[in-house]
Amino acid sequence: MFNSAVLTQVAVDGIGLSAIYILIALGFTLLFGIMRVVNFAHGAFAMLGGYALFYLYGDWGLPYLVAAPLAALVVAAAALVLERFVYRFFYQKMFQSMIGLLGLDMAIMYLAVIAWNAEERSVPPGTEALVEVGDLVFPAQKLIIAAIAAVALLAFYLFTHYTRYGRAMRAAAQDVEIAQAQGVNSSAIYQLAFFIAVFMAALAGGFYAQTYALSPFVGEPQLMIAFVVVILGGMGSIPGVALGGLLLGLANSFLGTFYGSAASTFVTFGAVILLLIFRPWGLLGAKEA
Amino acid sequence: MSKLSTLQRGQLAAQAAPPGGAARPAAVAGTARRWLTHPAVAAVVALALVLLPFTGQDKFVLSVAVTTFITAIAAASLHLIVRTGHVSLGHAAFMGIGAYVSALATMRLNLPFPLAVCLAFLAPAALALLVGPVVLRLTGKYFVLVTFLFGEIVRTVFVNWTEVTGGSNGIFGVPAPSPYFAEPVPFYYLALGFMLVILALIARLFNSEIGRAIEAIRESEPLARCSGVPVLRLKVTIFVLACGLAGIAGALQGHFVRYIDPTSFATDQSLTLVVINVVGGMFTLVGPILGTLFMVLLPEFLRGYVELQHVFFGVVLILVMAFFSGGIADMGQLLRRGGAKGAK
Repeated sequence: MFNSAVLTQVAVDGIGLSAIYILIALGFTLLFGIMRVVNFAHGAFAMLGGYALFYLYGDWGLPYLVAAPLAALVVAAAALVLERFVYRFFYQKMFQSMIGLLGLDMAIMYLAVIAWNAEERSVPPGTEALVEVGDLVFPAQKLIIAAIAAVALLAFYLFTHYTRYGRAMRAAAQDVEIAQAQGVNSSAIYQLAFFIAVFMAALAGGFYAQTYALSPFVGEPQLMIAFVVVILGGMGSIPGVALGGLLLGLANSFLGTFYGSAASTFVTFGAVILLLIFRPWGLLGAKEA
Repeated sequence: MSKLSTLQRGQLAAQAAPPGGAARPAAVAGTARRWLTHPAVAAVVALALVLLPFTGQDKFVLSVAVTTFITAIAAASLHLIVRTGHVSLGHAAFMGIGAYVSALATMRLNLPFPLAVCLAFLAPAALALLVGPVVLRLTGKYFVLVTFLFGEIVRTVFVNWTEVTGGSNGIFGVPAPSPYFAEPVPFYYLALGFMLVILALIARLFNSEIGRAIEAIRESEPLARCSGVPVLRLKVTIFVLACGLAGIAGALQGHFVRYIDPTSFATDQSLTLVVINVVGGMFTLVGPILGTLFMVLLPEFLRGYVELQHVFFGVVLILVMAFFSGGIADMGQLLRRGGAKGAK
């Protein structure tokens, strides 16, 4: 069963998963790195992204490449209201943010149950086409997801390294007070970072809903993914997210295929707990004083 | 300066202490808290609970009461951990272990109920002793995340270890403690007894030297260590005790509902226990008790609107964390503060 064709197939699956994982975790780590907020409601935004895609693409039939970013944009824009009325009270308060945002997560999840009831729906894939490379066959959908994720990550990298606002954002992540002293408008930067984080979570949520299923409760596994990836890579570290996402995606794909999903959960969570104990700042994170 | 002000505040997670706002001056205790903790008040409440079945033996009232008692035990046991400055998101897992151990001990091994309850205390406590020394080295967010994942692992074990735990179907027909305790009124007294003894034990613990050491750890671990408090050893001891007590709550629940399944001990339940502690008040044992009342009674008013209930709890959680971290137990304090502001 470990022949090269199967292994390649599993690796491609793993990269498709990794793309989703990285998108989810990137926003989570961004919020933590800049605002010191542990966003327990991150999965809820991903879930909303799934519903947005369900309506825009599944229901209204917009072209897929328009519907996917548009859905994420809608969720991120709507979430700015929450930024103003909830998140603003929790910036730079790590402990309070954890519990308070758990509350937000619960509120959003059950509002979704009221709005769309708890039954599972499915979002159709962007394309049914299959791509054949040699004797390997994979659905084109996976490649599209990976491509969109790659574009989003590249855009994020370029933004944070080569634009004025992106660099202000990185400055704020390093030290808010010093950044403010240099004239960085921290509340605008917070808003921007929040928007980007929710946008990516919602985008990933759409892909997740296409890969698995959609219900108000899909936020929880996605939140868990964000946790695991971010802990693996190191909280607040952006290269860490890329590494953690790839590791988790490949591990889930391999273990899930060969040993079942329960084994996959055990090994990944076990590994994360061990890592937390011996190296709590993660593989690429910075050690805190 | 900033260090000093951190110490002055009775703020959980000292490093997260905000400038003003949610901070609660430790020197001024809430008035509500002062009279609620008075021994006479506790005695009157206990007496009222003892007399409750004499006012009428409504089955519904009794079963709501028993649920309240069991939840109060679980919430108070989590409160022990919260007071050391850690928030566990996996506490229901330990409750679940107690429930499964007690159910299996009575059903498979035919052990008598008292022995089964002892096992339900020992098994989660032993597990806590195993993981405690490692996870309690972590602070703040990392502890929260590890306990969250730990709870999920335990739930996965419950679901997948089918031959012992019955998988996701759970275990049906958990016996009553004895034929006598199968009746609602005797079980009411059994649960009440457990609750009073455990709450008294915890209250006594907080009033002892150990209690003051616990406060010291929450305010500042390095300072506590410098003052000669064996920080890690004490935290592990408290964690072990708390998890054991949660196991008892789980066992009682199993023998009361007569049925256990993994979902009753999943993250949702852990979350409920955290909500109870946060909403009731994290700085006093009265907090989880008030929180339990709030959590058990409110659903009775919002019957048929289960989803709305969760939304409401979520919003309350946000409000409490954003504006008054003292919870219901500090309401008096809050009202006075509001009054003082209005007078200006």
